[in-house]
Amino acid sequence: MKPARVITLIGKEGRELIRDPITLGLCAVMPLIMLFLFGYAVNLDVENVAMGVYDEDRTPASRDLTERFAATDYFDLRRTFGSLGELEKAMQQGEIRLALIVPRNFHRHLLEGAPAPTQILVDGSYPAIAALAGAYAEAIVSAFPRPRPSAIQPQVRVWYNPSMRSSHYIVPGLFAVILMAFPPLLTALAIVREKETGTISQIFASPATSAEFVAGKLVPYGVVAFFEIVMVVAIGTLWFDVPFRGSVLLFLAAAMIYVLTTVAIGLLVSAVTSTQLSAMLLALVVTLMPSFLFSGFLFPVFTMPLALQIYSQLFPATYFTEISRGIVLKGAGIDSLALPVSLLFLYTLVIFAIATRRLRQKVA
Amino acid sequence: MSFVRLVGLLRKEAVQFLRDRLVLALVLWLYTVEAVLCTYALSFEVENLPVAVVDQDRSLSSRKLIDLFTLSDAFELADHAASPREAATWLESGRVNMVMIVPGGFGRAYHTATLPAIQFLFDGTNSNTAANARLYAMELLRRFELEHPSLSAGPVPHQAEPIIRTWYNPDQTTSAFMVLSMIALAGMMVGVIHPAASIVRERERGTIEQLLVTPIRLVELFTAKTAPTLLMGTLALFPSLLIVAWFDVPLRGSFALFMVLTALFLLSAIGLGVMIAAVSQTLQQALLLAFFGLFPIMFLSGTLTPVESMPSVLQTLSLASPLRYYMDIILSVFLKGAGWAELWDEALALLAIGTGLFCLSAMVFKKRVT
Repeated sequence: MKPARVITLIGKEGRELIRDPITLGLCAVMPLIMLFLFGYAVNLDVENVAMGVYDEDRTPASRDLTERFAATDYFDLRRTFGSLGELEKAMQQGEIRLALIVPRNFHRHLLEGAPAPTQILVDGSYPAIAALAGAYAEAIVSAFPRPRPSAIQPQVRVWYNPSMRSSHYIVPGLFAVILMAFPPLLTALAIVREKETGTISQIFASPATSAEFVAGKLVPYGVVAFFEIVMVVAIGTLWFDVPFRGSVLLFLAAAMIYVLTTVAIGLLVSAVTSTQLSAMLLALVVTLMPSFLFSGFLFPVFTMPLALQIYSQLFPATYFTEISRGIVLKGAGIDSLALPVSLLFLYTLVIFAIATRRLRQKVA
Repeated sequence: MSFVRLVGLLRKEAVQFLRDRLVLALVLWLYTVEAVLCTYALSFEVENLPVAVVDQDRSLSSRKLIDLFTLSDAFELADHAASPREAATWLESGRVNMVMIVPGGFGRAYHTATLPAIQFLFDGTNSNTAANARLYAMELLRRFELEHPSLSAGPVPHQAEPIIRTWYNPDQTTSAFMVLSMIALAGMMVGVIHPAASIVRERERGTIEQLLVTPIRLVELFTAKTAPTLLMGTLALFPSLLIVAWFDVPLRGSFALFMVLTALFLLSAIGLGVMIAAVSQTLQQALLLAFFGLFPIMFLSGTLTPVESMPSVLQTLSLASPLRYYMDIILSVFLKGAGWAELWDEALALLAIGTGLFCLSAMVFKKRVT
């Protein structure tokens, strides 16, 4: 590998990048759009769930119970219904997601000290919300009129995200997802474009080796990707008020490795495809979809069946999600993150080796 | 619009379409394998949450309580920790997501009714999981009190008794939701990417000009470009219906209504694809647009979390997304058994979006070509 040739190749690639302002603009703007959209939109917290009440009792007690629902942040009392039929219809149309039905004689039963049944109906079609909303409603009803006595006193403490806000969970995970979305695709398209136009054979006909060719692609796209992650992390943590508890240096070092991984995946994709359409489709299947769905970004890995837990380990976003959340939210140091970091490093080396080999074989 | 010309164009599209094996394979993959994988893997339920236990009491009561937790489906005992400090390091490294600390003297205090405390530490990074796990833990504590009544417990006073019923999805499984959501996603992706790629490819090769100098009219061209995707998208529903049946998802509504609404949805998705093709010059631009435009649309239309829990600006934006209406349709038809009476407004919205997009793209095309 000759440094002079590598520098020339880097210069060529850099010029091509700068000459294409649309792509550069996409690199800068799209990650931010994704950050804001997902930071705001992916909200798994139970807040303001649309609810309705059908009060058959119409007594101070039933009104008090309804009041307690309306007073929480969990529920938003939209409507009171005059009949069960109306309520069913609203539920079917998705106007309300939860309904409280207070039967006749509710108040009298309470006064007499008899059990006073109360019905809660939950729309189960959105399971992310249904289970939690149902449980909160259950808790409100069973604490009526006064909390049940209990023999054990639970002391619950929630660490790392005591206010239990979704955005604290989503934003550090987004760092891993966004970086998996852009650099691999850009790198892959850049090389496949050279394949489609035939310029890649000119480069391989020159004295440049495939390792030098890879380095020439790696450095400019690596720089772009690194710039991208710094920007996303800075804006993400500041705007969404996510506390950055760990060491910034450690984070940057891990991000550096991850950046190389993403570019390496782009190289690999370009090595096995020959058209831009197939490169994009493959990139979609191996980068964006798995990093979004299987990395633990939204769905915890431990709830998956074992085979799919192993599948999720095939994608580097799984490691970086863990590293990113560990450093940002838990303030974890290298001692507790040694395993994912070294796995990520190993992963990158392997992908590079395969991609460089494949590229050489293809042309030779 | 001439019938003969249209048939000729359709035949050309069909030949080109069948030649593209990779795209066919991808479509089938999205509708089947991806749907199955996601349905098996992705769940909001708390299952096998790894738990560390610190038992400082080691009494019969503490063991019974711990067994109740570790034998439940929600929690799985990762290990016993010697001290709270050790358990805390596990929480930090992500080895466990919850720590349960039973203090010394718990058993005795429980039976003398001096309100013994149990400490729970949750890893709150995933707020949804933490909230669910906390509720399960409290539920289990209550069950423990019922199964092993404290020797000194007084009578339980009567009060409101919640009876909770979940409609449309009584087992509260994620799988019904997930499989339907994945099918909707597949329809959206295929409906947008395929027509966009096939039109832009003709433009890159210059064949679109050749087509347009023939007597072929723009309407005929659009129809011919739309038909294969529409047909494929509708036919691809049948293998995915098998998957739906495999996951025991009931079809409570009318199948015919579902097919009609699906075709309507595909039309509006194809309209978006045609629009992308109209505004982009090269395949790369079209692909980038489709790739990065689709992704937000896909996940902001209620395919993961309900639209209602998004900020109001995004809720308003989502009104323009055909997928949002289709999610409502697919969930309502399958799970709620909704019919035409509940879904006509969604159908109307899809029709409006589709027509609007097609008209807009026709205008852009005309301007470009002339």
